[in-house]
Amino acid sequence: MKIVLTYAVLLALLVGAVALALLVGHGSLADPTLRSTLLGLRATRVGAALLAGAALATGGAVVQGVFRDPLVSPSILGTTAGASLGGQLAMLALVAGSPLASLAVSAEMVLPLGCLLGAGLSLAIVLTFCRERTGTLTLILTGFILSSLFLALSSFITSLAQDSWDMSRAVVSFTLGGVGGVSTRQLFAALPLVGIGIVACWLWSDTLDLLLSGEDEASSLGVEVGRARRWAVTWVAVLAAAAIAVGGNVGFVGLIVPHTLRPLVGVRHRRLIPACALLGGAFLVACDVIARVFPSRSELPLGVITGIIGAPVFLILLARSQRGVSHG
Amino acid sequence: MLLDQVSLCLSGSQVVALLGPNGAGKSTLLKTMAGLLPFSGSLRLDGREASQLGRAERARLVAYVPQHSALDAALPVRDVVAHGRFAHRDVWGRPDRRDDSAIERAMELTDTRRLAERSFNRLSYGERRLVLLARALATEARVLLLDEPTAALDVTHALALLHLLRDLASRGALVMVALHQLNEAAQASDRALLLAGGRLVAAGPAAEVISAEPVRRVYGVEIVPAAHFGFRMPAEKGTAP
Repeated sequence: MKIVLTYAVLLALLVGAVALALLVGHGSLADPTLRSTLLGLRATRVGAALLAGAALATGGAVVQGVFRDPLVSPSILGTTAGASLGGQLAMLALVAGSPLASLAVSAEMVLPLGCLLGAGLSLAIVLTFCRERTGTLTLILTGFILSSLFLALSSFITSLAQDSWDMSRAVVSFTLGGVGGVSTRQLFAALPLVGIGIVACWLWSDTLDLLLSGEDEASSLGVEVGRARRWAVTWVAVLAAAAIAVGGNVGFVGLIVPHTLRPLVGVRHRRLIPACALLGGAFLVACDVIARVFPSRSELPLGVITGIIGAPVFLILLARSQRGVSHG
Repeated sequence: MLLDQVSLCLSGSQVVALLGPNGAGKSTLLKTMAGLLPFSGSLRLDGREASQLGRAERARLVAYVPQHSALDAALPVRDVVAHGRFAHRDVWGRPDRRDDSAIERAMELTDTRRLAERSFNRLSYGERRLVLLARALATEARVLLLDEPTAALDVTHALALLHLLRDLASRGALVMVALHQLNEAAQASDRALLLAGGRLVAAGPAAEVISAEPVRRVYGVEIVPAAHFGFRMPAEKGTAP
């Protein structure tokens, strides 16, 4: 009964956040000439925030299960930094008039494509090290090194982008996260990736539960640990790439959402993953509302808001868990 | 090299005690048999080369309970025991009636039904050991590998557990159990394997292996034939308390 009630509350939060996001913002819905345009623009933003939040929170639940550590987020694999670098490179290539721009890919799809390629490249490197008998420490170190490398390269691209004001603005905006400039086509490109990624992770729920016992015990119970880890890493990379393609760099969602939900729905992934998708989506949609209505000369970056909310929330959760509240 | 030239052939319906001082290689041998450590040589399970078996197939044949479990999650105890059925599930992971009855039976045998709804990470160390044993029993594997299962159990549960191991062996299982207490081993096992420095020093009926000469040679202590006191279950109390 408690679990049904929890899901009902999460669903209500999501519906509430979506309704609020559609109704609130610059421009009046009372004007019939603007109403459909405003609703269309807001719906695209809402969809992007929802997809990015659901993807990041689900990815967070999965990596926390695989690494048996509630303090990790999807960025630990380096695929998030890879997707981000890919996105920045794509923007740079587009402005520089590289052959990418003349491919049979429209300009608005170059960014998501770059994110996917970047995540794919880092995933390929991670999987090269993710063999049957590779320990999780090697995986974490590989992710850490990749993240450091890609962040350094991202900084280099940001410095290159200083030559053009527009380019510089776009790169910084992408780096800080936001769903303002997302197009409907980008949204529909990310939708199947997020949908399939969440369902795939959910189907691996039992295996993820067994991995909570550690690699040896899971293996003795029949889990092909290496294969399970490779699949988990792959789907987390897909989710991270899709999230970054529509939301840019948004931190803390994958960290705090699973952490918040474990005391409510338990540590079983079959229950945790759908709950993460609901709350992650609701959380980022709500953050986007704050970004739009916050009195400021320009719209606040989404990543800044998730950071401002996420950091103290995480510290509170951490303090609670240290006082004996279980988090799995 | 942790183990060297260990050659064994063990059949079902017996409790085999694995003995030896700390660092002798008891846990290593159990882990190797469970397929968790690489080795050179041959390991045949049920007449088949172990390396040819898939993970799930192997898990249906051999169950392993480690000395120290890495599990510390807030999972309900029943779910932990249900993990023992993972290798029996179909591709969708749906439990069937046989899974339910195996879980119930394993919890009954280990006296963990009373803990079913509690969180695993809230249990005492001894209770955790019983739940992990229940998880192993839920696999219905014919080979049971246990690494010091009586450590941290109170005397009642330790005796009940040894009694349970004998019961499982009488039903056809091969129970291989690493033990530190030689009196427990003498009481509960049919055969004993004595390891020292990664080598098999003695193997045979428990009464022969746990005798003055091998024990003096490996442990450097003398066996005192008449213990000051010992424990046994009451005559009418055959199952777990």
